Amino acid sequence: MAIVFDGVTKAFPDGTVALQALDLAFEPGEFLVLLGPSGSGKTTACRLLAGLERPTAGRIMVEGRDVTDLPPRLRGMGMVFQNYALYSHKSVYENIAYPLRIRKMPAAELDRCVRAMAGLLEITRYLDRRPSQLSGGQAQRVAVARALVWQPSLCLMDEPLSNLDALLRLHMRTELKRLHRELKKTFVFVTHDQEEAMTLATRVAVLREGALIQYDDPREIYRRPANRFIAEFIGRPAMNTFDGDVRNGVFHANGFSCPLPGKPDGPIVLGIRPEQIQLVDASAGDAIRFAIDVVEPVEPDVLIFAKSEANALIVRTVNDDRAYDPGQPLHLRFPPAALHVFDAMSGARLP
Amino acid sequence: MIDQSTNRAWKSLAWAVLLVAVVVALTPYVWMVLASFKNRVDLLSSVPKWSFAPTLANYPAVFIDKEYWPLAINSVLISVSSTVLCIVIGAPAAYGFARSDFPGKEDLFFFFLTTRMAPPISIAVPLFLFFTSLGLIDTIYAVVIAHTSFNLSLVVWMMRGFFAEIPREIDEAAMMDGRSRLGAFFFVVAPLAAPGIGATAVLCFILSWNEFLYAFILVAFDGRPLTVGIPGLVTPHGTLWGQVAAVAIVATLPIVLFTFLVQKQLVRGLTFGAVKG
Repeated sequence: MAIVFDGVTKAFPDGTVALQALDLAFEPGEFLVLLGPSGSGKTTACRLLAGLERPTAGRIMVEGRDVTDLPPRLRGMGMVFQNYALYSHKSVYENIAYPLRIRKMPAAELDRCVRAMAGLLEITRYLDRRPSQLSGGQAQRVAVARALVWQPSLCLMDEPLSNLDALLRLHMRTELKRLHRELKKTFVFVTHDQEEAMTLATRVAVLREGALIQYDDPREIYRRPANRFIAEFIGRPAMNTFDGDVRNGVFHANGFSCPLPGKPDGPIVLGIRPEQIQLVDASAGDAIRFAIDVVEPVEPDVLIFAKSEANALIVRTVNDDRAYDPGQPLHLRFPPAALHVFDAMSGARLP
Repeated sequence: MIDQSTNRAWKSLAWAVLLVAVVVALTPYVWMVLASFKNRVDLLSSVPKWSFAPTLANYPAVFIDKEYWPLAINSVLISVSSTVLCIVIGAPAAYGFARSDFPGKEDLFFFFLTTRMAPPISIAVPLFLFFTSLGLIDTIYAVVIAHTSFNLSLVVWMMRGFFAEIPREIDEAAMMDGRSRLGAFFFVVAPLAAPGIGATAVLCFILSWNEFLYAFILVAFDGRPLTVGIPGLVTPHGTLWGQVAAVAIVATLPIVLFTFLVQKQLVRGLTFGAVKG
């Protein structure tokens, strides 16, 4: 394992514990995404790896070397900040060149490196400008270029896309993925956006309240969420969850029931993703009845929001939205293979 | 329409008030400029004279005949040295206050400020004894040290605001790019704060240049700045008003110049500290 968090705890002087005994390891060349809501400790983990914060306990190892006490400049990592942190008194060229100037690179080689990186990020035209003359997307590219120009083995990015508007964010996301493939560097990317995590990551570490709650391939996180929180956090629209009881192999919720063979009796949380709910004819015997509340054509799909007593759910379908009217009954089937079962108390996934 | 005319009336009133304020503030200075070009008779005429035959005699009389020109050099030496010291010591301190958190930080910061709150005269005698025992009395070093210690609090107060304006991520970016903590300060943060540092330096210079009380107490002969030289023109045979005015004009010129140069920065620096400090 190349980069290792070994029981890393970070407590701030005001008493908040941002990270609690984090154990995490990843390989060179990965695109690791630290995902979590605000206050989950993801940014703290990134800053600890950068050396901008010192852990209260635990060690951080990079390729077998303990870097816990090393200052940032000796760690060989580049970083992109959320607000870009460009040097406003220097031109774009000098911003990108700065890490190389510190390393006293000869002028000709420096120029070649800066121009190559600017070309890669398509900002060659802006090299003479000042950071204040750049749009958000351009400033973002300059920040990425500055972080990567000196060929660090690891590039850290702390919510780099969150200050961009929606369209640009999608574009930059694709660019980052391409950059990762072309440069073959290790990327560590912090975000609260589950879609960014799913699309970019080779592995996702989901953090919540300073603890690592799932660490896996993004597909696995989507398909087998480790607990109810992740189930509802990953995927848009979120997974439908229902509180209820299992009695004799049948799940009973307030207003509907469905077969759930092989589970012990008792209270559980049942989950199913909106796109995995099947729409069936009224004649089908085991149909679950909900009433249509709102229909949203999000093209090419349709989202149907339906209610049944205390429960509500969302169905994603490719059917024509005009076939569904609010107030009408909706007949559903939950395929047994698509069901997720969580513990009613802890929210942990049950086998 | 009534609204507009009342608005105009208020505006005229505001202008009138400002005009009065400007006249009140500038008349003595204009009078002093005129006085520096008057001969003895015109100066002391019982009816103040606005028109007279100007003379340039007062300037050489005081600066060459009375050998006051070294005092101007003393003034420059004292102000420049104390300003440089203030910035060199104060800027890193202010940076520390802007960036790091430690127990009692705000109390320490307030303590710095309180050094400016005591009436200057209250420590005049201890300061005199202090410099006497150091053997620095009647040298410009004493004045430089005194001015530095007094202006330091102001520098820390102003500069903290300027540094706080620079996002912390800038320091961190510089450190990620390969600078040490101090390197980030000297090579990235300080250049970014240069306008603020400049404004603070100018204020330090002005305060030191204008200072009279400590300079008067600490030096009597060789190290005198211009401010201390002026009372020497009050002789038993009467005050040499023309020469006093000439020295005063020379003494105020750098202040006028600097104030025009950096007034915008200066106001921002002072108000910034006031709000955030």
